[in-house]
Parts: sequence; structure tokens; C-alpha cells
Amino acid sequence: MAIDRIFKDEASEEKGERARMASFVGAMAIADLVKTTLGPKGMDKILQSTGRGREVTVTNDGATILKSLHIDNPAAKVLLDISKVQDDEVGDGTTSVVVLAGELLREAEKLVASKIHPMTIISGFRMAAECARNTLLEKVVDNKADSEKFRSDLLNIAMTTLSSKILSQDKEHFAKLAVDAVMRLNGSTNLESIQIIKKPGGSLKDSFLDEGFILDKKIGIGQPKRIENAKILVANTAMDTDKVKIYGARVRVDSMARVAQIETAEKEKMREKVQKIIGHGINCFVNRQLIYNFPEELFADAGILAIEHADFDGIERLALVTGGEIASTFDNPESVKLGHCDLIEEIMIGEDKLIHFSGVAMGQACTIVLRGASHHVLDEAERSLHDALCVLSQTVNDSRVLLGGGWPEMVMAREVDALAKKTPGKKSLAIEAFSRALLAIPTIIADNAGLDSAELISQLRAEHQNKGCTAGIDVISGSVGDMAERGICEAFKVKQAILLSSTEAAEMILRVDEIITCAPRRREDRMEIFHLFCNPVLRHWIGNGVVVVGGRMLTFKSSNEKPIDFRRAKICSFPIAKVKVLDNNSLSSRASWPLSEGEKEISVRGEKNVWRCHHRNNGV
Amino acid sequence: MAAIATPQHRSSKTESYVDNKRKEDIRHANIVAARAVANAVRTSLGPKGMDKMISTSSDEVIITNDGATILNKMQVLQPAAKMLVELSKSQDSAAGDGTTTVVVIAGALLEQCLLLLSHGIHPTVVSDSLHKAAVKAVDVLTAMAVPVELSDRDSLVKSASTSLNSKVVSQYSTLLAPLAVDAVLSVVDAAKPDMVDLRDVKIVKKLGGTVDDTELVKGLVFDKKVSHAAGGPTRMENAKIAVIQFQISPPKTDIEQSIVVSDYSQMDRILKEERSYILGMIKKIKATGCNVLLIQKSILRDAVTDLSLHYLAKAKILVIKDVERDEIEFITKTLNCLPIANIEHFRAEKLGYADLVEEVSLGDGKIVKIKGIKEMGKTTTVLVRGSNQLVLDEAERSLHDALCVVRCLVAKRFLIAGGGAPEIELSRQLGAWAKVLHGMEGYCVRAFAEALEVIPYTLAENAGLNPIAIVTELRNRHAQGEINAGINVRKGQITNILEENVVQPLLVSTSAITLATECVRMILKIDDIVTVR
Repeated sequence: MAIDRIFKDEASEEKGERARMASFVGAMAIADLVKTTLGPKGMDKILQSTGRGREVTVTNDGATILKSLHIDNPAAKVLLDISKVQDDEVGDGTTSVVVLAGELLREAEKLVASKIHPMTIISGFRMAAECARNTLLEKVVDNKADSEKFRSDLLNIAMTTLSSKILSQDKEHFAKLAVDAVMRLNGSTNLESIQIIKKPGGSLKDSFLDEGFILDKKIGIGQPKRIENAKILVANTAMDTDKVKIYGARVRVDSMARVAQIETAEKEKMREKVQKIIGHGINCFVNRQLIYNFPEELFADAGILAIEHADFDGIERLALVTGGEIASTFDNPESVKLGHCDLIEEIMIGEDKLIHFSGVAMGQACTIVLRGASHHVLDEAERSLHDALCVLSQTVNDSRVLLGGGWPEMVMAREVDALAKKTPGKKSLAIEAFSRALLAIPTIIADNAGLDSAELISQLRAEHQNKGCTAGIDVISGSVGDMAERGICEAFKVKQAILLSSTEAAEMILRVDEIITCAPRRREDRMEIFHLFCNPVLRHWIGNGVVVVGGRMLTFKSSNEKPIDFRRAKICSFPIAKVKVLDNNSLSSRASWPLSEGEKEISVRGEKNVWRCHHRNNGV
Repeated sequence: MAAIATPQHRSSKTESYVDNKRKEDIRHANIVAARAVANAVRTSLGPKGMDKMISTSSDEVIITNDGATILNKMQVLQPAAKMLVELSKSQDSAAGDGTTTVVVIAGALLEQCLLLLSHGIHPTVVSDSLHKAAVKAVDVLTAMAVPVELSDRDSLVKSASTSLNSKVVSQYSTLLAPLAVDAVLSVVDAAKPDMVDLRDVKIVKKLGGTVDDTELVKGLVFDKKVSHAAGGPTRMENAKIAVIQFQISPPKTDIEQSIVVSDYSQMDRILKEERSYILGMIKKIKATGCNVLLIQKSILRDAVTDLSLHYLAKAKILVIKDVERDEIEFITKTLNCLPIANIEHFRAEKLGYADLVEEVSLGDGKIVKIKGIKEMGKTTTVLVRGSNQLVLDEAERSLHDALCVVRCLVAKRFLIAGGGAPEIELSRQLGAWAKVLHGMEGYCVRAFAEALEVIPYTLAENAGLNPIAIVTELRNRHAQGEINAGINVRKGQITNILEENVVQPLLVSTSAITLATECVRMILKIDDIVTVR
């Protein structure tokens, strides 16, 4: 007797033909989705969020599109992953890698239909990929020795990358900007020290590169607005009061005067702390947490520039570029490493005042200030610039360069084709298929530009029969053109990564012959809060700032100490899957005010307020 | 949809077949949605534009003529329509005025683009050509502009009143325009002559009176009452003002504390101690000669108690309480003093000085004015009055626009004619330029030129004139070289608009054109809407 069920409820299984079919279809659907964004005339997509606020993103970046998709198909997820890896590794080519993998699978599907075993296809693909990679290696140009030529290579690469993005109109400006920024890094691929600040207003052309560091914060009242030869202490410490964090600790006194004494003692403690900080011999103090009025005044009296509430990213970067360390205790001034810079001053960008640190210890550091009409433009510009910066920093290390515009694909396709003719056996069919998949990339670029791809590709192929040909698709004039002349370049590293990871992904998907879907895990803890908000009886409680979760009572307070009226807060419209109760450890680093014992934080993404709640262990 | 389905004439040399139906549907849907938004605000353009009444979800009613406000309150969902809302916001932050113009131009451009797309021109070609045309347009506008000096107060007032003329409060433009100019000019920093921080101009709204009573105050105005507890002073000459950030109330510690009282006599003692504690603080304050206290609002405990107010009144100290923390910077900058966060630091050198602090009754409420501040910082306060909340709000918005206009002039000191003159001139010059260009570009630039005529067309239409007659007449005049001929809405005819004193800053026009083009290009490049998490 056959076993009826091996799997749990809701788990399912797909086998053989059907499993493969599902993989192919899923992967190709994803590839087709991003296909149209490829190339200089690729189109953009609107990403409309289903969450609260229905936020809209306009983008051309493959990785961004794929990252935000709802995907249920396992094969599609593989493609998504390779695009993510591509983004992390080399930063650009996130669309190409998915498209190539999709095309390989499209070809593989046909081969499988003509009864060729997937393993044969895979070994054919492997040979083809190896051959293609060797071809690229033969064709690369390395201009590392000649710094002038190398710089123009970098500029060309940046321009090629940017030409498919929103920055294409001002690509020369931005290419120069990106190259300058990357050259400052001296070969490091750590993009941390390049800070990108987005300020709405002005046009993209007004964007500029600034040496030094810009912090989007305000200087405290009554403090110097300009400091030369600054010694900076970067800290993450509570500057309201140091709280005793023992639950239930309290002081019993018998007179008002005593209370006043305690208050003075608390003030005194803060004064001491400030004195200790000043004792470091600094003239600039940057804190991640709030600085209350009292210490702020003390700093002002001492002529020290104090910056409060610099976000986490901000102070880490500031510590990095000024060569300081983030301090949280101040008892040993000699062991704390201070940051240095030549000048701190307030500058105005658009309507906002920002703080500018120039002449910082880490010479590599620089800030790119992006200006643009709206947030959509700025966000997309940042993504584009990030791509360019990634590619450039990779190229500085691995200076091998290839031509662009479909040229590498054509060269590879020709060699792979030649290999197919030499190879006996069924494998040759797979190798041939690989070459067809390679050709798909220039075809798509031409199609996206509204050109006659069939005509152009056949012309191009004919041209490429001559050795040493540099022809590619010139999208601007809509014809076959000389890529070397037009300065269209791509980094070898990007191309290689595209080739290898898409082949691998295709191989992985091809190997699949069974898909098992596991039963989804239940997420009770998260949903519970949501149900509470929907429950009319409990809403009364919620209105009074009391919530019951798992038998514990939670009271809510907002960051300004006022109880939240959830009825007004439209709680039901929150994307509830995003509400989560964080544990106490992750809290202290995230909340800008310290939490006392037994308090928990509930963060609601997209809301500025972070709420904390206090739970009492009595069941209701 | 029918226009879209027509067979396409491909641009390539040879035939090809691509099925793009879905993409074109999306593009079409985007353009239609964006145009719907543009049409919604179209009628509020110009001096004879109409206002919109908006009833918000919280039953609040707003009457306004300001494009940015209308769009902001319209809850649009379609992504492309949202982009137009963003567009008007950008214009608001870039120039502050012309928020309707920018949306109307974008709408007109989109309409032309739809036509171009239906001819089978590739969207990126259209997009690139639009960019080129916009760059050229800015050049043309710059060439038309007249330089202006900040000392030339008349010109500044003229441009501010042009902006105000299209608002509800237009009849007060003679009052508000010079006011806006003075307000901005008084905060221009000599060190950075082309930067104006509008946060240095504080607008205080107070219901009552009419817009006529709006005034510029050299000093500070608080929309608050002086504390009247125990008959404290409400008027103080030769004021010595302290801004304090600590509380004059019984002590409270951060650590939990409880006072244990064991018998009745101790209770008395505690009360006495409380009194002497507060008295001690107030004596220290009085000792510095301070006679006006501005107390920051406190969230942790009472900033002042009845008891402390009583003592302060006895000490003849005028008290204004509940000052917001955000305002402290503005106040200290104006008063040229330092905030004091602890009683120990209460020293005379941290005080600000003013000739007079007094409470004034206005309508049904009271405000506090601080006048004759010694070594006053570069800030200004405008007290806006209005007979009802709606007028008051709209007056504030209009004043904000006027301030922005003057700020634009400070940043970029060029003026340009209003009344549709620059647009029609642009249209003419770009039209001529289009004839020189080759291929698709020429075609697209011509479409751009035609789209710009929407401004004079709408101006005329909103003024109840015959738009076609007016626009053709305008074209005619411009062709004869009268580059400043524009629509004189009051007379209902075409005159030299510069002579009519209808001028606007160059920055408003150029940013409207560049921003609108940028937005349209973005919409054109979209071929899919993907729903994501």
C-alpha cells in the first residue's frame, strides 16, 4: 500500500517534467521583466508599494527592481540571488546577469524538449563558458601602467555605466565626479568613505564633489559656528542623565530639600561628565544621542561645538574619516583616540544648513552632494552613482578593460560557435545554444532602442568575422559602429562575473527535477498585535495606551513621553507584518533615549516615531 | 486608446515587428493620469484664476489658489499622477512660486508627447530632445532677462506684487508686496549676500482684524498671553530678557523618589521648604536684574507652577511660558542672548535687552510684542491678520510665495516679464530653432515649443478672453520683435507687459521649465508598473 502522505499539511511536491517546466517559466518571466531596462535606451519601471503610503519608486536598476518583487517561484529566486550577488560583488550588470541566465534557460528548454539530457546540456554550457572566458581574457586591454590612459578608461567606463541610467544627460559631469571620488580612495574598495548626501532642489548638474565630510545636523545654540584645527570627540553616550538601571530602584527622603539635593546631585553628575569630556582637550563633541539643554549650555560656555543626535551611520563614518574612535566612557582621556580636522564650519546647501568638516585625517574621504528636482530623481541618481562607483573601484584594482555595446558578446559568440563546430557529439548542440544566448544581449539592447535588431545583429556578426574588429551597436545613431572610437568601455570584471554567475545559475536550475514546498511557518507573535488592533473590545484598551500581547500587558509611550492615542494613530492601516517586538539588546543601540528595565520597543517601519512599551507581567 | 492603436511608422530603415501593446498602454495610462492632475489645477493659473475649495478627510476646509497646496491635499494614488504632485513640491522648494505653472507646463508637454509617441517616435528620443529644448529654453530666457539690483526696491516690489496678484489676497498686494520685500531684505546677511534663509522670517498668524492690519514687526511677536497669575506685570520698559530652559517648580529627580512623611508637623515643613526652594530660585533670577522671563515648555514636569508664577509676579517679572524648543534658536538669535539651562548659570551677560515688552490685545486674543531690541539679530517677524481662518491661512501662503519670489531675486538677480510674454517668446524662438534641427529632434522641439503656448492660452482663458485670438495676436506681436508683449489681464488686451509692472524672477521661469521637463522625461521612460512589497 502506498504511503498517502509524507509531507505536512500545506506542503507540496512537483516532480520531473513539471518541476523543470515551473523553473523555466519562472526564470524566464523574471528575465523578461527586467529585460526592457537593459542598455542606454532601456526603460524605467515604477515600483508601487502595496504598503502604507503606497510609496512610488522609479528605477532602472535591475537589482532594485528584483529586490522589491514578491516572488514565489524558487527558480526565480535563484535569479534574484545572482543579481543581488552581482550587486554586492561588482555593483553593475545586475540586469545583464539575469537576462543572460534567462536566455540560457530559454535555449536549454528547447534542448530538453529535443530530448537532450540536462547533464549533457550542462557540460556543454561549461565548455562554452570556459571558452568564452578565455576569449575575453585574450581580448582585454590593460592600461594600468599609463596613468593618463587609465584615467580615460575609467571615465569611459563610468560614462558607459551611467549612460543607461537617469544621469545619462549629465554623464560626463557625473563620470568625472565618480572617477575623482574613486581615485581618492587609492585602490581601496571600501566605498564607506564616499558619502552621498541627497538634497532636493536645484538640478542634477548642480551636484558636486566635496573634499571632506558633511554632516546633516545642526550646531547647538550659542556655540561657535566655525572651528579651525578641530579636535573631535565622537561619542555614543546618554547626555540627558545617567539612569540607574536597576528595576524598582528608588530613593526615600523625608524632605523637599533632600529632593532638591538629589536633583542637584544629578545635575552635578552631568556637569562632571561634561567636565570629563571637556578634559579631553577637545573643541568639538559629536554625540549619537540627544544632548539636553543643560549639557548643551555647558558646552556652549566652554566654547565647544556640540552636535547632538548624529545618526549611527553618521558618527561611524565621522569617526572613520577623522581617525577617531567612538567613545562611551570618559574616565581615561589618554586612551581615547580623538579625531582631527582642519576646519569645521556651517555651510548652506539649498535651504538647509549642514556642518562641513574639511581637511580630515583620512584623505580618501569625500562627500558627493546630489541635487535634483525630486526625491524620485535623487534616489535613482544615488543608485546610478553607486553602480558607477562600485564598478570604478573594482576597475582600479583590476584594470582590465573591454569594449562595450554588445562587442564582448559578439566576440564570445563567435569563438563559442567555432568551438561548437569542433566539438563532436550532442554537447555541440548545447554549445551552439550558448552562443545564441550570448547574442540575445545585443539583440535586446537594439530592441529596447526601437531598432531593427535582426538586421543589426546580422550586420554585426558579419563584421565580426574579421579578426580584431571593434564593431558594436551604436544605439545613439542606430547603426553598427566602432566602439573603440566612441569610447564605450566596460570593466572586464563585470563581464566575467556576468558570464560565470549566469552560467552557474542556469546550471543550477537545469539540475532541478523536483520542487518541494514546505508548509509555511506560522507567525503568531507578529500577527497578534494586528488582531488586537482590529478587535473592537480591545480597542478601548488600546486607546488608553494598553495592549495585551501573549497575556502580558503592554503600555505604550511615544518618544516624547506622551501616551499614544492609537485611535488617532490609524493603527489598523499599518503594515502589520512589519511591527515587531525587538528584544532588549538590540534596543539600547537603536533608541536614542535609554530604556529602563522591563521596557520594550516596538518599531514601526516608515514611522518616524519609535515607540516603546512597558510590559507588566500580569495576565488580563 | 484609439489614437494609440493606429498603425505605427517605425523609424528604422527596414521593417521590424515588436509587440509593445502593453508598454504603450501603461505609458498612455500614466500620461492620461498625469494630465488629469494638470487639468485640475489649470483653472487657478494667473491673476484671474479661480480658487479651489478643498475639504480634507478630517473635515477641514481650505480655500486656496496655490498649486502646491491644492496638489498636496489631493490624495492621488496613480504613481504618475503622484509624480506631478512631487513636481509642484519641488518647484515650491526651488523657487516657492510658480507651482501651478510648472504643473500646467508638464501637462501640456505630456499632451504633445502623446502625439509624438503615436507617430511611433521612440520615447528616449522624445526624452532627449525635450532635454535639449529645455536647455535652449533656459538660454533664451536668460537672454531676455533684465538684471536687477537689490537697492532697486521698486522692481522687487513689482515682482512680489505680480505673485500676489494671482492670490485671494490680491487686493492687498500694495501692502503685502513691500512688506515681503522689506522682510527679506532685512535678513540678508552681508557676509553671504546671495543666500536668504527664510527661517529667519517668522510669520505669526492671528485671527481678527483684516489683512490690512498685517504688519512687519522689528522685533519679536509671540502668539501667547503673558502669564496673568497673581497680577503679574504685562508691560515692561527697559526689559532685560532671559530665555530659560529649566523649570521653576518643585524639584524632580530622574531616579524614582518618594518623600516619607511620618507626622503632621513634617507636612508643614515640606510645604515651607517647597516655598523657600522656589523663592530661592526667583531671588537669584531677580538678582541679575532680569525682568522678563521666556520659559521653554517642558515635557518632563511643569515648567512653572502656580506658586512660582505667584512669586514671579511679586518680583515684578513678566513671564511668557510654553515657548517651544524649536523656537529657542530663532528667539535667541533675535534677542542676541543665550539660553540658560540651569539656575546656576543665570548671569547678566546671558540676558537680552529690549526697550519694550508688552502685551497687546488683538481681536479676541492677546499677543506679546518685544520691541527695540538691542543689537538685534538679522531676523524679522510678520504679523498676519485676517477676518477668518481661511483668509488667514491663504494670506500666509500667499505671503510665503511673495517672500520666496524676493528670495529668488536675491539669489539670482534677474527679472523677466510676466503675463505669458516669456513663454510665447520661447515658443517663437524654439519654433525657429526647430527648423534648423534635423530628424526627430526638430520634430520634438517643435512640439515642445507648441506646448509652451499653454501658459498664455490658459491665462487668457481664465481671464475670460478669447484664448485663440489672444495667442495668435501675441504670436504676431512677438514676430514683429516686441519681446515683452504679454497679456494684460486687467485691460483684456495685449500690451508691453514690462511697462505694466508685471514682472517675475527669472529663477521661477527657468526652474519651472527645467523641472517640468525633467518630470515629463521621467514619465516617458517608464514602461511598466510593478507592484512590490
